[in-house]
Amino acid sequence: MIYDVCVIGSGAGGSPIAYELSNAGFNVVVLEKGKEYTEADFTKDELAVSRRDIYTPLLKDEKHIIIDRAEDGTLTRYDGEEYSWSFWNGSMVGGSSNLMSGYFHRLKPNDFRLKSVYGAIEGANVVDWPIRYEDLEPYYTKVEEVVGVSGKVTPHKFAEPRSTSEFPYTSLEENGVTQWFDKACEHLKLSSIATPRAVLPSAALGRNGCSYSNFCGSYGCATGAKGNARAALLKRCKAKIITEAFVYKLDSDASKVTQAHYYDTTLNSHTIKARIFVLAAQAIESCRLLLNSKNEHFANGMANNNNQVGKNLIFSAGGTGQGRFHFEKLTPQQQKILMEPGVFFNRSLQDWYEYEHEGKRYKGGTIDFLFEHANIIPRVMRELYDENGRIMWGEALQQKIHKSITTSRVLTFEVFNDWLPSDHCYVGVDEKVQDKYGVNVGVIHLYSHPHDLKVGKTLAQQARKVLEMMGADEIRSNISASPPPNLVAGGCRFGNDAKTSVLDKNCKAHELENLYVTDASFMPTGGSVPYTWSIYANSFRVAHKLLQTLRKRRV
Amino acid sequence: MFLQSRRHFFQKGFVGGAVLVFCSGRLFGAVSTMQTIQVLQEDLFGNTTNAPTPQEVRAQSYLAMILQHSRVSQKQKEFIRNGIQWLNEEALEMFHKSYVALAKQQREAVLQSVTDSRWGESFVHAIFAYLFEAMLGDPIYGINTDESGWKWLQHHPGLPRPKKAVL
Ligand SMILES: Cc1cc2nc3c(=O)[nH]c(=O)nc-3n(C[C@H](O)[C@H](O)[C@H](O)COP(=O)(O)OP(=O)(O)OC[C@H]3O[C@@H](n4cnc5c(N)ncnc54)[C@H](O)[C@@H]3O)c2cc1C
Ligand code: SF4
Repeated sequence: MIYDVCVIGSGAGGSPIAYELSNAGFNVVVLEKGKEYTEADFTKDELAVSRRDIYTPLLKDEKHIIIDRAEDGTLTRYDGEEYSWSFWNGSMVGGSSNLMSGYFHRLKPNDFRLKSVYGAIEGANVVDWPIRYEDLEPYYTKVEEVVGVSGKVTPHKFAEPRSTSEFPYTSLEENGVTQWFDKACEHLKLSSIATPRAVLPSAALGRNGCSYSNFCGSYGCATGAKGNARAALLKRCKAKIITEAFVYKLDSDASKVTQAHYYDTTLNSHTIKARIFVLAAQAIESCRLLLNSKNEHFANGMANNNNQVGKNLIFSAGGTGQGRFHFEKLTPQQQKILMEPGVFFNRSLQDWYEYEHEGKRYKGGTIDFLFEHANIIPRVMRELYDENGRIMWGEALQQKIHKSITTSRVLTFEVFNDWLPSDHCYVGVDEKVQDKYGVNVGVIHLYSHPHDLKVGKTLAQQARKVLEMMGADEIRSNISASPPPNLVAGGCRFGNDAKTSVLDKNCKAHELENLYVTDASFMPTGGSVPYTWSIYANSFRVAHKLLQTLRKRRV
Repeated sequence: MFLQSRRHFFQKGFVGGAVLVFCSGRLFGAVSTMQTIQVLQEDLFGNTTNAPTPQEVRAQSYLAMILQHSRVSQKQKEFIRNGIQWLNEEALEMFHKSYVALAKQQREAVLQSVTDSRWGESFVHAIFAYLFEAMLGDPIYGINTDESGWKWLQHHPGLPRPKKAVL
């Protein structure tokens, strides 16, 4: 059988394609490496989910090799298994979108024109996108409606234009401490933004509303309120999903992909033929699959005759910080508000999305504020050390843990700024090391441009001032060059020039007629927000183009 | 509930067995790993009426079970086993007895001494990690008896809670 479309990877990048095309009557198959879990399977089992990572592959079976480049050019090689350094995020139907927290931000118009607006930066491959914000805006709106984004539009100096005046779903319930935050922002003349969330506040779209389970990020959603790709899209379309299907190679002739090969759990190989192939296995794995798919027409890997596949890998730069609120400084009423579980602390600042320093214009970023994760084990483990950094034990430790957990709470912040693309940050394939399937593993070459740290630190300083104004203690931040494995993009950047990009502006490979890539690998620069809203929106945009192409063919 | 079904392991698993310890280069003999762990957990967490004890939350059997799990790396398993051996060797160097045979004050001195080294600190950190997993994980795993760990810290677990043990 020949399918109209074969989608590889069922996460945020692949699912809009499957949803739109199968609902339009095309014959779509989705190949997904992981299992299918439903709402009934998802529980808040901290040991299984957060301590034993049941949703990601075992590193002894599947790993990455990581080569880290220091600022002085020194390279250090890490075996992911040996160092427990995992770049897996969620192997299951719906991908890592099942486990996301759903903090959603759109890119801003200037994110599409980074080079024109802010200029070139030495050592970085900054470029403009081949599309504009206006091209993506209708699809951001579509995601709000179809996937479900809740929030409240807050006007501020860097607010992006919208085609609708409000979000289709009202804001989620908030913890009262957000009012302390809003007051602090008022004093500091900042615009407190109610963070949009891919979470339904009440039943809609055939899904339940949020139950404020207190354990959102890293956990699957048992109500269906979270706008993950499975609940929001795959469950609502007719695409055929083949689970536990690890795609290891694509075949092609000179101009078209002809078939995809996958292994099932017993290592039996199967083949799928389709007219169009859409790859969305998350940035690193999509690049690896292309690089591993060599043939007489593509000696360096599929769509890689210009040696661009894997190049310009990016992450979200920035880091985290926190402050602690102690009962001693609060009234009994305030203590009660502080400790209220479940309801969200949805606040963000974008006052420094762009800023000036010594007469120079800088691209800044976003700061999200949220209570620290409710997982109890890491919160207790953090208390093991005394003020001199010595490990403690015995009764003194017991008391310290009890006091800290029951009479204080930590408010954290996350800084998101651009990870500048460069020649030193890219995906390759190891010549020797193979995974349990006998397929060569991906090599992640890491390099973080010093500019990213500078910007991140500027943002963190501002966030700390807000925590100070709120009356928090023990304020600290950690801006680092270490990449967040769950916020990864690039590697198959789109652009108008086939010599410097893998995909054209519709995310079709320049070198092949029927190969598309719709996870975050298309992004030449990442913007200063988490990516998922943009991944969904772009995938809906590509689906629209594909529909036009397929319909034309049908006629 | 996997603790019950895997009881047999306590007799033959590597944590259930013994480690050979040496003192000044000479073989001292075999030391029971489970006994060392039990005493060590009590020493590390303390035994007060304010909080559950490691024994009450079945931290010892949990450690034995989890160190059999495919999702705990071989490296980690070996590290715990070696740690038990090193701890006993330090006890022998300092007081000529195995860790469990020492008086409370002597064990305290051994802990002070081992945590001065990197391995010792990492070892104690790892023992705490599994101890708090037993105290604060879901009781479906035969641990955190009567939710006593959660009650101690007034912790609200996330909902829905697991209906079956998946580890
Ligand atoms: C804990 C956590 C919190 C997060 N929070 C946020 C947030 O608040 N806001 C936000 O914007 N983003 C967040 N994210 C990120 C978000 O989940 C990702 O940006 C998004 O899911 C990426 O979409 P994707 O399609 O590229 O990858 P995924 O959604 O991961 O989908 C890729 C799929 O491809 C499958 N696959 C891989 N290789 C193969 C192969 N060879 N063959 C077949 N299938 C394959 C994988 O199993 C997976 O299911 C979070 C992620 C995590 C893990
Ligand atoms: S119910 Fe709400 S809080 Fe819980 S996982 Fe789903 S979206 Fe997150």
